[in-house]
Amino acid sequence: MQDRPTAAELLDAMAGELYAEVREWVPHERRFRVLVLANLCAVIARELRAGDEASGRDLELFSALSGSPADDVREAATALAASIRHGDLDARLSEAISGLREHVTRKLDVARPGYR
Amino acid sequence: MTQPTEDALAVGIRELIAQAEGSDPGAVALSTIPGGASRETFLAEAGDRRWVVRRDPPGAPDSFAPLEIEFRVVQAAAAAGVPVPRPLAFESADGRLESAGFVMDHVAGTSVAPRVLRRDDLAAARRALPAQLGEALARIHSIDAREIQGVAATDSDPPLAACELWETTLDEIGEPLPAVEAGLRWLRLHPPPPATRECLVHGDFRLGNLIVAESGLAAVIDWELCHSGDPAEDIGWLCVRSWRFGNDDREVAGVGSLADLLDAYEKAGGERPSPERIRWWEAMGNVKWAVICARQAHDHLTGVRPSAELASLGRRICEPEWDLLELLPAASSASRPGAAGSEEGRLS
Repeated sequence: MQDRPTAAELLDAMAGELYAEVREWVPHERRFRVLVLANLCAVIARELRAGDEASGRDLELFSALSGSPADDVREAATALAASIRHGDLDARLSEAISGLREHVTRKLDVARPGYR
Repeated sequence: MTQPTEDALAVGIRELIAQAEGSDPGAVALSTIPGGASRETFLAEAGDRRWVVRRDPPGAPDSFAPLEIEFRVVQAAAAAGVPVPRPLAFESADGRLESAGFVMDHVAGTSVAPRVLRRDDLAAARRALPAQLGEALARIHSIDAREIQGVAATDSDPPLAACELWETTLDEIGEPLPAVEAGLRWLRLHPPPPATRECLVHGDFRLGNLIVAESGLAAVIDWELCHSGDPAEDIGWLCVRSWRFGNDDREVAGVGSLADLLDAYEKAGGERPSPERIRWWEAMGNVKWAVICARQAHDHLTGVRPSAELASLGRRICEPEWDLLELLPAASSASRPGAAGSEEGRLS
């Protein structure tokens, strides 16, 4: 166990300071890069708070769609991507698209909440 | 950031300008214009006159479209009435720019999209832009790409060629993106009817590659992705939601309506593409942007271009993925504002 602040809380602190203060110290034409860093801290904080549940649901979804069970979510994503490319899911493509909307929603909830 | 004026590059640029303009501009001061990922861009100043120099990074491998072709394309665009920076002189890799490059006039204005969309002094420009963009696109598309030596022709139908290009690029990156694959598969199975004609396509027509001044569109720049293709490709790409920077209700680059753009496009001699054709290319535009995000993140991971900004694009892939899937026929999700806007914005 690490002491408080948690990793996510530390990232919140970093994001806040980068956004509110460090940005002002940087020449105008380079401030965008500070915003990128502040935003990344916020994204990682959300990712840490979200935990592993989203990846677990992606693993289930990918395995169900491709019909090939896997232990690892990246392995399952690779298998599904290949099945789609080869046309194995053509008859169920709209089902796959609906399922993948949920996968993309899970990514957006971390990376860009409110985008939808 | 200004470098000493007497370095060899500044002297070479001064000579090139003198030759092209027919008079010596005097000592040239150079400064770097940041932003170009694959090319170097310099501002050259002499007195109150300004030029822009675009060149390959010295020693870099051959790039996408060699700058010599880009120079010829800009010349052809200028001749067709497209607002572009006047191209002055091309210099090959063994010339005075130390690598292949060309000199053009400097055009005042901004190409930072969020500024174009928010700055008070550009309000009139925003009103003028949809029609101006339509007119500029019609003029670009009036150019027969086959007449420009070196412009890449497609060996297959443009929609199929686009599917193949992004599938190949995904394979090179090696990251699994099942949502992109599903969108690509759908687009491959439902291509638009063959285009009535092929023409010069800019390939990256959005606010970030346009210079906008108070009167509106001042110049179309960054032609490195130009190719021969379907004119609807440029229009669909311009409608990709990522280029609206939050102005989601204005589907053309966050400034206006597609109807206004197409009216001006038609009036300037363009052939109005069907809504389905434009949507197909908008969906393909989302494939393209998702794959480009993945490739940029990959360039960071492999150390080709280490950068937190490029790395962060790996967490943005899901934005065009969402918009891509929203443009496809709805299976179960409710229609939402934003990407496609409404059921009629979807492909069928």
